[in-house]
Amino acid sequence: MIRQPASMRAKVVLGAMAVVLMLAGYTVLSERQHRLNPDDTTIPTWSLLGRGVSRIVEVGRVVPGSEESRSWLARQKTRWLVADASATGYRLFLGLLLGVAGAVVLGLLMGCFEKVEAFFAPPLSLLAKVPPTAILAVFFVLTQTYTQMCVAMVAFGILPTMAQAIYLGVKEVPRELIYKAYTLGASHAEVVWNVILRQVLPKIIDGVRLQIGPAMVFLIAAEWLGGEVGFGCRIRLESRLAHMHTVYPYLALLAGFGFGMDAALRRLQRWLCPWCAGGC
Amino acid sequence: MAGATNRGIVFECRGVHHAFGPNMVLHDVNFRIVRGEIVALVGPSGCGKSTLLRAIVGTHPPGRGRILVGRRGAAEMAEVAEPGRDRGIVYQRYSLFPFLTAQQNVALGPMLDQTSLAFRAFRFPSWRRLRRRHMEEAAELLARVGLGKALKLYPHEMSGGMCQRVAIAQALIMKPEILLLDEPFGALDEATREELQRMLLTLYAENCRAAGRGEEPPLTVLIVTHEINEAIFVGDRVLGLSQYWDWRGAGHAACPGATIVYDKAVPVCAPDADRNFDLFRDRRREILDVVFSPEVLPDREKHCLFWRQLENGEGQGVLQPWATAATTSGAGRDGSSTPGRPGPSS
Amino acid sequence: MLRTVKSSMLVALAGAALALSGCGDGDKGGSAPGTGGGGGAADAGAAVPCFSVAWSEYPSWSTFGVAGELKLIDGKKGALGPIEKKWGVDIELKQADYDPCLVMYGSGQCDAVCITNMDVLSPSLSRKSVAVAPTSTSCGADALIVSGDLKDVQSLKGKSVYGLAKTVSEYCFVRNLELLGEKEADYKFTNMDPGAAALAMQQKKEGYEAIVVWNPFVLETLNKRPDARVLFDSARIPGEIVDMLVVAADSLEKPKGREFACAALDAFYAVSARIEDPRTRDETLVALGEKFSHLKVEAMKKVVEQTKFYKTPDEGLALFTGAEMPKVMDKVVDFCVKHDIVKDKPVLGFGDKAAAGAAVLRFDPSFMTAVKDRK
Repeated sequence: MIRQPASMRAKVVLGAMAVVLMLAGYTVLSERQHRLNPDDTTIPTWSLLGRGVSRIVEVGRVVPGSEESRSWLARQKTRWLVADASATGYRLFLGLLLGVAGAVVLGLLMGCFEKVEAFFAPPLSLLAKVPPTAILAVFFVLTQTYTQMCVAMVAFGILPTMAQAIYLGVKEVPRELIYKAYTLGASHAEVVWNVILRQVLPKIIDGVRLQIGPAMVFLIAAEWLGGEVGFGCRIRLESRLAHMHTVYPYLALLAGFGFGMDAALRRLQRWLCPWCAGGC
Repeated sequence: MAGATNRGIVFECRGVHHAFGPNMVLHDVNFRIVRGEIVALVGPSGCGKSTLLRAIVGTHPPGRGRILVGRRGAAEMAEVAEPGRDRGIVYQRYSLFPFLTAQQNVALGPMLDQTSLAFRAFRFPSWRRLRRRHMEEAAELLARVGLGKALKLYPHEMSGGMCQRVAIAQALIMKPEILLLDEPFGALDEATREELQRMLLTLYAENCRAAGRGEEPPLTVLIVTHEINEAIFVGDRVLGLSQYWDWRGAGHAACPGATIVYDKAVPVCAPDADRNFDLFRDRRREILDVVFSPEVLPDREKHCLFWRQLENGEGQGVLQPWATAATTSGAGRDGSSTPGRPGPSS
Repeated sequence: MLRTVKSSMLVALAGAALALSGCGDGDKGGSAPGTGGGGGAADAGAAVPCFSVAWSEYPSWSTFGVAGELKLIDGKKGALGPIEKKWGVDIELKQADYDPCLVMYGSGQCDAVCITNMDVLSPSLSRKSVAVAPTSTSCGADALIVSGDLKDVQSLKGKSVYGLAKTVSEYCFVRNLELLGEKEADYKFTNMDPGAAALAMQQKKEGYEAIVVWNPFVLETLNKRPDARVLFDSARIPGEIVDMLVVAADSLEKPKGREFACAALDAFYAVSARIEDPRTRDETLVALGEKFSHLKVEAMKKVVEQTKFYKTPDEGLALFTGAEMPKVMDKVVDFCVKHDIVKDKPVLGFGDKAAAGAAVLRFDPSFMTAVKDRK
């Protein structure tokens, strides 16, 4: 029967099977390619991937007498993974933080004041359609350093869409609730803080969840253009050299990171907003 | 007006007019409410009940006219033009904050009323102590409306009836001068609706006891409803707002908007009284004719007899001592009415 | 979010899968005539083995695009132009950006690729390669551009020099420093996409006072920012940055593999000759310019000066058989090892298969000789 419910166990088993099949398929593919060309690096074998992973996590060249040879912390930073993850992570989280903060402020203002809405709504809906990667020149002019550019790209990349979602969420808050709060003696600030913000919080978290994907795409695109460290520039340089055994682990890391962030935000939502069980 | 603050007038609409552009909605709406009453406001749909209620809540002040609230301990009534804690409101839907439990919902009022954002942020320990008191108070009040076991439930986990009980508790904790109920039971099934009506009557009985002791009745209610039986059952007085009145006779070329065409005290029911709507049949017929029928266009003063009824000592419930005072003093409080006019005996 | 990351992974995997199934290029099993590279196209070309060339926009490489436009070769699979008929092979032209070309070649999706003598080292390690001819050498096409107030190379100390790391840009920069007697460690080469670096320079962005880029970014930047100037360029190291046509060793082993390499070179020399010939020079340069950043003919004249073509087999032979070539490649390999581009020194060979032995990359002049002999 269509839509016959499946048991939890069956779901887990089937899901695991799909993953195993995928991995098996890859193994076969890579075996075949290596029978043709034993030196192939485009579909690396598991052992080659293992070497790629160790290349990523191993300590880099340490010049005797340098900072790295003396300080444990500095030595850790010669590991590609540490260097790239800290650079990319910093840019991503700072960008997300600024973007989300800006979107929340703008979204609240637009949702609360119709004049602000009238002013910002048209440019916002326009900007939401423009991929920030396409207006790179603007970001160059706007920012001083390369890191700033990456951060700005992420922040401005997610801001319009998020601000739109938040302000629509604010407008959806039933007016009765707002009036009600006033009859309970709330000040304007309290209406915003204790009613509107609380009410749209799950939407904000959902918005962040949805925007992490685009944010990562924008950041990788920005990093693609340069920089010494960062996932994007590492993947570019490595794939240019056909070092797929280091590229694939990086891609897997990105996927894992995205998965983790998604799960973490879901958790956060359940913890902060127990009232909207199963999403609002 | 000596003693006005005690058992006096708690609320007044004075010459309220409202129009949306060329659409005249309210025309010269006047009424006063005695502290402790449950006044039911009925009217045909589209007559402007909601507009009037929004004007009273203060979210949409009227185009013309004044809305006055008498505050406990204050000698003069104060005009209101924006929402405030002296008027509580319960809507048909969206009265509760979905992100708060029943108890938190009820405790929200004291929190917003007694503390500020800055206080809560910077004087956290004092706030914690205060909060505990608010929560206890909320729990007590919820127990009083029969929800002692639902403290930790979120609105989406409760039935419609439970939600409305919480909403009433939420409003009551503020001890408003007047509680406004906007079609509060409209979305409920019949059994639940009856339960809640009886709950209101229980609260009214407390009012009567207080009035009997010569104290200020704690709660005044203005309930907007489209259900005439409900109006007669829970109210001690029914107000009819209608656009069907003799505006030609009053010298208007077109209908200038709805006004009060019916204002009479109705029999008071005890909380455990039989809910036999047959008993109200005549009254219901009268209200249907006067207020709801487009064919009957009465003179607007003809059925507004409430104050005369009081002067004749007809008041029941909380109005009883008030009415008695009126008859013994021999002079009406309403200057326009003529004393001594006989009315139907109760 | 997951979707994007996952999909990019899928794309990578799918690309890898394509490498296996696509055109049978890397497939030894499919090398029998008739079933081989041709992939079973139904028309006359079916009997002719098909080979593919990946090229990107660059003065001496856009010649393949021009050759396709002039119908000297028909870039579509299964259709033959005069040169293809002459050598009895079918050439498929695949145009892409430079980096994707490298990935295509590395993953076996094409038989031949247009590539520099430096970038070919890394893919050679996984796919034995044969450089069949040099097409041009950078003679000013890679340049260090600085803002006007920087007078000499010393003033670059402590400043970032922007350019794409691990490419000829960095090589050009490091080699010029060497020639000037400067220490590489005193200078800071910072990785940046050449397009982005040129843009930053043109915007007079603070901190972007020196960039190493290649054409068309060199010309473009100098045009748009008159106060900028070239501090040094690849003209000081002629014959070191060499643009080449490289064919995979197994593709050459296939039937008609050698003819394929010769046909591709024949097409290149045919277009080069048209550029040399005063009667056809301008129109050919216009056609070439359309395939190189849409440059106009005047700019193209400058470009072909800065990118010196090895326009005849003789010029190419002179480079590949000259004594300088092994020395140049030694420098390039040293640079690559030092800059982590390759882990170990690849074994290079010069001459034909017999002479070069086990080399992963060999510079084989025999194809140019064959083209020359069959004029």
